[in-house]
Amino acid sequence: MANVEVIDPNDPGKPNRPATYGETNRDIIRVLLKPSVGYVLGVLLALTGMIIGGYCWYLQITWGMGVAGITHPTMWGVYIVTFVFWVGIGHAGTLISAILYLVRSRWRTGVYRASEAMTVFAVMTALLFPVLHLGRCWQAYWFFPYPNQRQLWLNFKSPLMWDVFAISTYFTVSVVFFYVGLVPDIAVFRDHSRGLVKKFYGVLAGGWRGTHRQWHHYMAAYGFFAAFAAPLVLSVHSVVSWDFAMAPTPGWHSTIFPPYFVAGAIFSGCAMVISLLMPMSYLFDWHKYVNTWHYENLAKMCLLTSGILTYAYGMEYFVAWYSQNPYEQSIFVWRATPSADYGWAFYLMVFCNCVAPLAWYSKKLRNNHVALFIVAAIINVGMWFERFNIIVSSLAHNFDPAAWWYYWPSNIEWGVLVGSTGWFFFWFLLFCKSFPAIAITEIKEMVEPPVKGSL
Amino acid sequence: MSSAVRIKAVYNHLDCLLTGIDRLKRAGFTGFDVQAPLPRHEIEEIMYEGRPSPVRWWTMTGAIVGMCAGFGITSLTHSAWPMINPGGKPTVALVPFAVIMFEATILVGSLATGLGMVVHCGLPAYFIDRSLQDPRMTDSSFGITFTRASAAQQEAIVELLSKTGAVEVTTGNDTFYEVPNA
Repeated sequence: MANVEVIDPNDPGKPNRPATYGETNRDIIRVLLKPSVGYVLGVLLALTGMIIGGYCWYLQITWGMGVAGITHPTMWGVYIVTFVFWVGIGHAGTLISAILYLVRSRWRTGVYRASEAMTVFAVMTALLFPVLHLGRCWQAYWFFPYPNQRQLWLNFKSPLMWDVFAISTYFTVSVVFFYVGLVPDIAVFRDHSRGLVKKFYGVLAGGWRGTHRQWHHYMAAYGFFAAFAAPLVLSVHSVVSWDFAMAPTPGWHSTIFPPYFVAGAIFSGCAMVISLLMPMSYLFDWHKYVNTWHYENLAKMCLLTSGILTYAYGMEYFVAWYSQNPYEQSIFVWRATPSADYGWAFYLMVFCNCVAPLAWYSKKLRNNHVALFIVAAIINVGMWFERFNIIVSSLAHNFDPAAWWYYWPSNIEWGVLVGSTGWFFFWFLLFCKSFPAIAITEIKEMVEPPVKGSL
Repeated sequence: MSSAVRIKAVYNHLDCLLTGIDRLKRAGFTGFDVQAPLPRHEIEEIMYEGRPSPVRWWTMTGAIVGMCAGFGITSLTHSAWPMINPGGKPTVALVPFAVIMFEATILVGSLATGLGMVVHCGLPAYFIDRSLQDPRMTDSSFGITFTRASAAQQEAIVELLSKTGAVEVTTGNDTFYEVPNA
């Protein structure tokens, strides 16, 4: 009965593991100590971005939607581009925490908590944009079905309504999954702090004591959450893609969009995890828990999804040619014309998403932190421009040549984009400093259990 | 009638803990809590002997309720305003409604799972017996705690726990652990 199962000694993550359970606690709880100068500067930078974005939103509310660059026929501009971008970023977290949990991938352990936090804050950021795009943001509750005297309900046959339900469900499930995972680790923070801080973590931990009953039901529930979240990851960006694919607009009306969008979302999300975790591991000295092994696996995920994206880009052109539809052919030729309005955006997208990640086929570059960080940043820029390319170019070059228009974002829109980035980084930095951004309990599962062995 | 007493054993080694639990069960003692800083399937197997958690029923019920609710809200609201007929679809169009039904299945299923977990874990539990509030159990130690053991059995339990490698066995108010220099 006293047989204890130990982990695989050939696991490549083993050399970097802590030796004891107590060491894990001490390493992670260090984040509660006095913040470093780098951290404070990061928070101030994020706050500055938020103030800029908030001021731009205030100007838009005061003066109306005219201050944003969107106008007929390009009624979806930076706001929708950035909305899709942040929803995409939010994908990797749940992918890493749910799908990699179900397939028992060991490398997820060090990175999944921060990735989940990234998901929650990225979706929080994405949710700002439909409200911003409304103009009259105080009527945002019209998005949801509520009983009213007019018996007027939402059109559930519209992909826009599917999107509202998909994103709000994704956000709710991600928050629940995230919080449930945090509870045992918050209990560690509670038990290793004092005073008001202890009370704060005590309330959040909900009286967790790690009894056999609690672990039994917790692990069962966690498995079900993962099983629910896994199809949700794949469905959410599929639904987002239907916002476009269900419209007859040339360049949008394509059945390849759902897998193409999902691959793009995972691609950008994994790149963002590298971009976020690398500076954080230097800032909080997490190298024992997040290291080259994790970055390399994330880079491999990016390589796979980059290949899928490159295939999807090529397949769009093949289908446009094969369809013999002149409108479809016209938009794709126009997009790829270097001298056309958005030709530069197309080639920037191709370089960032198809060419730059190829560097990671070299193991040397996959193991080089500077190269990893630079390529991850390039991918993030490229994925924003992918959405810009899809959304803006198709609308600006629609069916009727008389309506063709050159859209360029106004300063207000750029300001809001900066603000959304500041908003995201503010919450992420705050989380990393106040909560266990490395999953203490799951790291302990990787540690060989203390065994006396003489009984 | 004898009064109830608290007994707590602290273990530093997992195999000692498992032996302690096994011997307690063989001796017919029940009503104790095992605490651990992480989920170990060995503890789950010995305590539950393969019985699954009832949380799964909450999950299934929630998912079915969610799917029905998704179908209900879409079909009933469209039936209340049937002249909205985009793309020539029928009033109750299963294909577009399937998206909402799927989302509602996931949403209500997940929330029900969370609720089931909270109920069965006994959370929130801010006012539990102080003998269970031991910060060592979220650090690196394991524990077996009787919050209401029979006084007549106290001696036998303490002896059994001590013999299985517990580094500390305390009874009564001594089971309340205070962090040194807190």
